[in-house]
Amino acid sequence: MHAALYVSKTGLSAQDKQLTTISNNLSNASTIGFKRDRAVFEDLLYQIQRQPGGQSTQDTQLPSGLQLGVGVRVSGTTKEFTEGSLQVTDQTLDLAVNGRGFFQILQPNGNISYTRNGQFGLNSEGQIVNVNGLLLEPAITVPENTNRVEIGTDGTVSAYSEGNAAGQQIGSIQLVDFINPAGLQGIGSNLFYQTASSGDPIAGTPGENGMGTTLQGTLENSNVDIVEEMVNMITTQRVYEMNSKVVSTADQMLQFITQNL
Amino acid sequence: MDRALYTAMTGAKNNMLAQASHANNLANANTQGFRADFAQARSMAIYDGPGLPSRVFSMVENPGTDFRPGAVQETGRELDIAINGEGFFAVQAPDGTEAYSRDGGLNIDVNGVLRNSKGLPVVGTGGPIALPPAEKIEIAEDGTISAVLLGQGVDQPVVIDRIKMVSVDSRTLEKFEDGLIRLREGGKDGEVIAPDPNMKLVSGFLETSNVNTVDEFTNMLSLSRQYEIQIKMMTTVKENSESSSQLLRMS
Repeated sequence: MHAALYVSKTGLSAQDKQLTTISNNLSNASTIGFKRDRAVFEDLLYQIQRQPGGQSTQDTQLPSGLQLGVGVRVSGTTKEFTEGSLQVTDQTLDLAVNGRGFFQILQPNGNISYTRNGQFGLNSEGQIVNVNGLLLEPAITVPENTNRVEIGTDGTVSAYSEGNAAGQQIGSIQLVDFINPAGLQGIGSNLFYQTASSGDPIAGTPGENGMGTTLQGTLENSNVDIVEEMVNMITTQRVYEMNSKVVSTADQMLQFITQNL
Repeated sequence: MDRALYTAMTGAKNNMLAQASHANNLANANTQGFRADFAQARSMAIYDGPGLPSRVFSMVENPGTDFRPGAVQETGRELDIAINGEGFFAVQAPDGTEAYSRDGGLNIDVNGVLRNSKGLPVVGTGGPIALPPAEKIEIAEDGTISAVLLGQGVDQPVVIDRIKMVSVDSRTLEKFEDGLIRLREGGKDGEVIAPDPNMKLVSGFLETSNVNTVDEFTNMLSLSRQYEIQIKMMTTVKENSESSSQLLRMS
């Protein structure tokens, strides 16, 4: 059959995946702590139809051969861990990491997952949990009768109550960092798991050793740039149309030969 | 049957091969740093015996690759780099040879090795570049990578390496079957190009594919019409041969 049919088919499916990535980014344009994905394309192998430099006669060589590329593929998606803008909410348990670092969230099965989403709350036992009720790691319990909780930029959590105006330190938030955050595996709910590609977590105190500081009453917005996604959507759509036009041209050629010969 | 049928056949077949090449360019119209391939047809004459020299077959070939720069797109990511003007980044191909690429979407793997979006290590002054765990990485205009290491102050950035950039006459380069660009002569035998200290890059930008979709598409359409003409030739040959067999028919 016509080789162009299969080549364009790879183009169509790659643009399809690109559009899926874009639409996921756009739908998470206002998800706190979301990091945008980028689809990365690469050209597939080339098939040599005629060897460059092959002998055309005993004494002469072909100056150039024929190599046909067989299309494109999505080599992967990478998460872009650029920082989103910060939004001041003045909620006591809203936290943002200003700089590198992830909060640790304990999964029910005992694994640790990582997040940039700092929307925390309290459960019925006074423990600090994320929006899905999963415990922050290391666990911090706010005592009863607490009026006010203060979280310092170094992650220190202090509770103030009536009759205890001096406050009492009830724990401190630890952050972790990765050598290759783009290698983290997203598991949904703004959470990530470490993988062989992200490397092991490097724990640290906020504000020390290159770790970001924790900001109370602040949230990190999604880092999706809507204009960029829109422009990407336009190019994706046009390239898709071009490739589908190639498919229909190849189809018409095959049709022409079957009907006219 | 007349040999014109076979002449028309090579025309149609080579039109289809040329179209596959253009289809590959269009499929990669969104691939970072992709360079479009040219396709042209050459006439291959076969003259044997007396008569008119009318047996000229066609042969499609890639005379080369289009090395013009593509459009540059802003991303704001610190590890996205694009070369300003002509030239290439050096990367290490899986077979250990040095290849050249304009794909500047870099990543750091778990061992700290700087790789491009195909996963090939980027070459610095002496082979692949390994980065220590760093708080912030900056790639300067001349390819120098500096980093603020974890635990060190922002006032003590460390220079780590310099990305190798080369400027070279693009006529000496060739795209090999793994899609990587190397020196045509000796590129597979480990011959390398010396770095050019005057090359400039911009960080926070990515170079897109240099495929001109309008060009490719016009070529596609023109090849498709040419193909129809070849088929028309075949039908004409068929009709001729039908009429000649009718002439001989006893009625």
